[in-house]
Formats: sequence, C-alpha cells, structure tokens
Amino acid sequence: MNALLSRSWIRALIGLIAPGLFLIWWQMQAQAGGAHALAFAPLQSVGAAFVELAVRGSLFPDMASTLSRSLSGLAIGGTLGIALGVAMAIWRPLDRVLNPLLQAIRQVPLMGWLPLLGLWVGTGQGTELIVVSLSAFFPTLLNSFEGVAGVERRFVEVGQIYGFTPLQRFRLILLPAAMPLILTGLTQGLAFAWIASIASEILLGVGGGLGVTMQLAQMQQRIDIILVAILVTAALGFTINRLFLRLRQHLLRWQAPLR
Amino acid sequence: MASAALPALAAPTMRRRAPLASFLAPVALLVLWQLLCLSGAFPPQVLVPPSEVARTLWQLAETGELQRHVGESMTRLALGFAIGALAGLAFGAAIALSRLAEVVFGPFFFAVWQVPVIAFVPMLVIFFGIDEQFKVAIVILAAFFPVALAAFDGIRGVPRAWFEVARVYRTRLPDLIWRILVPATLPAVVTGLRVALTRAWVVLIAAELLAADSGIGQMMEMGRQMFRIDVVLAGVVVSGVIGFLLDRGAKAIERRASRWRAA
Repeated sequence: MNALLSRSWIRALIGLIAPGLFLIWWQMQAQAGGAHALAFAPLQSVGAAFVELAVRGSLFPDMASTLSRSLSGLAIGGTLGIALGVAMAIWRPLDRVLNPLLQAIRQVPLMGWLPLLGLWVGTGQGTELIVVSLSAFFPTLLNSFEGVAGVERRFVEVGQIYGFTPLQRFRLILLPAAMPLILTGLTQGLAFAWIASIASEILLGVGGGLGVTMQLAQMQQRIDIILVAILVTAALGFTINRLFLRLRQHLLRWQAPLR
Repeated sequence: MASAALPALAAPTMRRRAPLASFLAPVALLVLWQLLCLSGAFPPQVLVPPSEVARTLWQLAETGELQRHVGESMTRLALGFAIGALAGLAFGAAIALSRLAEVVFGPFFFAVWQVPVIAFVPMLVIFFGIDEQFKVAIVILAAFFPVALAAFDGIRGVPRAWFEVARVYRTRLPDLIWRILVPATLPAVVTGLRVALTRAWVVLIAAELLAADSGIGQMMEMGRQMFRIDVVLAGVVVSGVIGFLLDRGAKAIERRASRWRAA
C-alpha cells in the first residue's frame, strides 16, 4: 500500500478520484431533472459556457478588468501603506496620532464600508477601487512598520560610525533591511486586493470583471457561467500569487535564504 | 530581528501600548470627530457627529431593533462557525493522519481552497436562495478552510518520535488522541479557529449586505437605501466593535492555549 502511494504518478491518479466522483455526482444531479436540476448545470453546458465566454463573450475583458482593479488597488493602497508605515516607524509622534484612527478603521469588516462609501461616493467603480485599495493598505502598512521598526541596532550603529546623514541612513540601511517585510506586505496586499475586487464586484456589480459576471449570471440563474467564472478566478488568483512570490524571491536574491 | 528596537526609531506601538493610552486615543478621536462636525465643514447628509450616531444607536436599542439585528447575525455566525470548524477539524485531522486520505482528498481540497470564499456567494444563492441557509452555508465555508488547514499543519508538525514513543508504550488510540495529539496541536488549531472566526464574520457581513431581511449588514444596507447616514455609521460602529471583541476574545483564548503547552 505505502509502496504504491510513494509513486508520484499513482498519487496524482488517486488524487483525481475525489474530483472525478464529485463531477459524476454533479452530472447525475443535473440530469435527474426536477426542481433543483436548475442549480446543477450539466458539465457539457459548463464546457459550452466556457467556450462561449472565451470566444465570443466577456471572459478576457473580465479577467483584465478584475486584474487591473486589483493591481490599481494594490498600487494605491500599497504606496500609501508603505509610505505611512515607514513614516510612522521613523517618526514616532505620527504613529501616536494616527494609530488609534487606523486601528478603529481596521476593526470594521472590509465590506461593511460599502454602504457608507455608497452614500459618500456612490455605488460605482470609485467605491470598488476604494475598498480594494483599503484592503491592500493595511497589510502593507503593518508589515512596513514592523520592517523598519525592527531593523537591528548594529546596522544603524555602523551607519553612525560612517557618519551617515538621515537620508543615507534611510536609503542604505533602513530600506534594504526592511525590504523583506515590505515585500511580504505587498504579497499579502495583492492577495487581499484580489479577494476584495471579486467581493466588491459581486456586491456592487458595476464596471465589469469576473465578480460582475458572476452576479449577472446569478440573476439569470446561469450556474454554468458562474462555475466558469469561479474556475477562472481560482486559476488566475493562483497564478498571480505565484508570480508575485517569484518576483519577491528575485528581488531578495541578495539575501541569505534564511527567512 | 530579535534585538530591541532602535533608540532613534519607534517601538512597535502597533502591538503594545499602555492601557491608559489605548483608552485615551479613541476618546480623542471621538472628540475630534464631534468638533469637525460642529465646525460645519460637512453637511449632515455627509457626516453626522458621534453624538448623533450614539442617539441613533440608543433609539435602535430602545425599539429592540438593534438587539434583533445583532442577535440574528450572531446566531448565523455561531451556527455556521460551529459546523464549519468541527467539519474542518475532522477533515484536517483525517488528511493529516491517513496518507491514503491525504492522497485521495488532498488535491481536491487544495484546489477548492484557491477560490476566495466570497466567490461562492452567487453559486450558493442559486442553491439555497437568499434565505437563512445561504448565510449559514457561506459562514460554514469561511470557517472550514482555515480550521482544516490549521489542523492539518498542527498534526503534521507533531514530531514523529512522539508517535514512535506511543507505539513503544502500546498507547491505545483514545489515549494517543487525548494525551499526545490534542495537547501538541492545540496552539495551532486555536490560531486556526481565531482566523476562521474573523474571516467568517467578514464574509457574513458581506453576505448580509447582499441579501438579508435582518442582521447588521442588512441594517447598514437599508440605511444606505434610505439615505440614513446615522444608521449606516451606527452599523459601522457596531460591526467594528463586534469584530474587535471577537478578535480580542479569541486572542485571549489563544494565549491560554499556548501557555498551557509551555507549562
């Protein structure tokens, strides 16, 4: 038994059993007819929906839309998060003033801001972008803060010996030493921004994107389109996370592979 | 990163702060907010002062509406979290303990895990409608994955030698579970439970915004539709306070769970 399981191709094959059984069960439910057959689209129609969306439909524009929303949110929220996190770690009074406000904002579930933003800026793409930026803001802020605040004392002492100016200290010591955590923050921020994009698209349903397509399909009871959108969401999210981790490794290649 | 923070740099007050300061800061924030509103910088359709929000909260509590919304949300959270966490615990333990179970169910589990829980909302709405079942189901999903993963990692992290010792002593299975597995994996599992609770709360609010006839999320959404900024702000405050309390409570339990192990 164990000898059998140690072969990787056999493991891969066995790994297909559970999804396979699930798909067979799904297909049987879809063909059983009756009231809830509507909820189970037969697999061939999911395949057809995929072809339909990919060839004639909105699949690629949707992917581009959700992706650009996530990356814009990451750019806005991440830039603010890094700038503020670094500034708060270097200049303590700023931390004292802003910390309570930031902590209070952080306690509210992210989507709980949607009704308020809806009243302030309307239920359009602006609100979506604000929520996505907010979701990327906090992980980058916290990690940048910890990164700069946790720089080892001996690094800065070396800088003092060389008579570094504050700017040199920041550019040559603090920033490189904090870089691993800053990049960790950005990686987390990207994952958060991706989820927040999908969520705000589902909840507001404007501006195009995978979430908007899901929401429209839900109103039309098109489970096949929803499933295609879910699969694409998972695959695309997985891919951009992987790419970002690669990028992080590449940027940190000067570092000892310790953390 | 182990050494103390630099004299020239800030100590990480994000994590630790004096109790007095942590009490003063929110008060200062409220005073600032009130003054900002009294200065007339914002029309009342855009921002109402905290005193107004407090009065709205009081009115909602007097009519019992607030208690109903909070109660509904909490019931959904408790029910969904209990089911999701128990299922996650059982599943995580199963794929961690049995290689066969891991090989059979592992790939499927990790594939589904790639989907953000919120993306299941449209599908669940078609399956369950927009009633109670849908909201409990989404909370179950949100709680299941972090707990399953934590249980899996926690059990996999138990040193092999401990199992070998148990085998040498011919420990029976119940003893193996209660005297080795549970204490060794408790900290990891409790951390997973805390993460799951936070995620479940966030997802529940999102689901209630979308489709509900009660609950904090629905209260905010109704407030938005009726242009009642005071009700929306009251909902923001209540959901924030609940989120804060859930997180604090779970963290306190988490600390106790790890302290027990260290003792």
